[in-house]
Amino acid sequence: MNIKTHTKNGTYNVPFFDGDTILQSIERKEVEVQSHCRDGFCGACRCKLKSGQVEYKVDPLAFINDDEILTCCTIPITNIEIEFD
Amino acid sequence: MKYTTFNQVSNNPLTEPMFFGNPVNVARYDQQKHQIFEKLIEKQISFFWRPEEVDVSKDRVDFQKLSDSEKHIFISNLKYQTLLDSIQGRSPNIALLPIISIPELETWVETWSFYETIHSRSYTHILRNLFGDPSSIFEDIVENEEIKKRAADISKYYDDLIFATQLWQTLGEGTHTVNGETHLINMRELKKKLYLCMNSVNALEAIRFYVSFACTFAFAERELMEGNSKIIRLIARDENLHLTSTQHILNLWAKGKDDPEMAEIAEECKEEATNIFLNAVEQEKEWAAFLFQQGSMIGLNKEILCQYVEFIANHRMSAIGLGQPFDVKSNPLPWMNNYLNSDNVQVAPQESEISSYLVGQIDSEVNADEFGDFDL
Repeated sequence: MNIKTHTKNGTYNVPFFDGDTILQSIERKEVEVQSHCRDGFCGACRCKLKSGQVEYKVDPLAFINDDEILTCCTIPITNIEIEFD
Repeated sequence: MKYTTFNQVSNNPLTEPMFFGNPVNVARYDQQKHQIFEKLIEKQISFFWRPEEVDVSKDRVDFQKLSDSEKHIFISNLKYQTLLDSIQGRSPNIALLPIISIPELETWVETWSFYETIHSRSYTHILRNLFGDPSSIFEDIVENEEIKKRAADISKYYDDLIFATQLWQTLGEGTHTVNGETHLINMRELKKKLYLCMNSVNALEAIRFYVSFACTFAFAERELMEGNSKIIRLIARDENLHLTSTQHILNLWAKGKDDPEMAEIAEECKEEATNIFLNAVEQEKEWAAFLFQQGSMIGLNKEILCQYVEFIANHRMSAIGLGQPFDVKSNPLPWMNNYLNSDNVQVAPQESEISSYLVGQIDSEVNADEFGDFDL
């Protein structure tokens, strides 16, 4: 599965690796994104989900808008496109 | 409205707003209007730690090796954090509990404040290890102009809300003259004060700690003051959770998911809320200048720290719908994220779970005469 990732520094096609979270796969590609707790409670890894679907591995506690996801505790279940602000 | 510790009106807490409805009566958690606060309580309790679990004795040796400018940075940050947690250990309780109307939020605020008192106790633990008598450090917190300036700015929103609530509870709505000063008390004004206070608390949890966190972790990157760094990691983990709670409150209001009047106030006071945040950013930058006035430390200087404040402010402000006012594209201190990762926060399970381990522990003091009968 592919994670099309938009950041302030560019757009990247990130392959998803089984066993990773979305955040881990993005980091494997050495794309700079923000993360703190990596456990769903701080919200630092928040991004917009522009298309596709994800599944939560941990119940997220951080505040997210309806069109946002936490990359530290989700996996993609389809190809997805996400945008970090 | 007079406060009552057990409101005998049979109300439905599921229809109460978070604040300024009926006072809470039954502390029940089988049903929740805003489930998030119950989840935050559970998470926060799972984080329980005690400062004494962290051995800070090596820090005493490291501290002696620091240059004078580094000692100034280290001690000033501890003073500032002591101030912040002195305020946070009491103020959410005093300002918010009398006006909260749902049990899960009431208990969240109590849990949150309790953890701030653990933080305060940990500063004593750190300082007592570094100085035989840390009195002069604590006494300077109310003398130091740089710290006092920040204290005034943080406490004023709390104090305003507390005073207005006291007038409302004793005299009700209306125009009241107290000691020659006139105060207009009505629900709209009270809610505005609450909104601004919540924004000030949110800014505090969001950025005010991060200049000192960065200095602490910069020492740890050089393998210095690592006991202190372990404690500050635990504090940072808690503060991230506290920040999540104020972000939820502000967003519940702004999105009209709680009290509709608070949604209007959020719109009306957006500029003031932005200014509270920007003012905190400026003060943190001034703090960085004060810290480095006697010289920098390896790995950090004033400029890079100011950029980091702007970077983190962008993230925190966009989380509550205030946009990203600063032009910083990359994290100037990427290693900070390793210290804020909750997986890297280690507390040995046997020490945290079995209470008898906490008493006595290991005596890590070794005197030279203990090697007296030691032959090579």
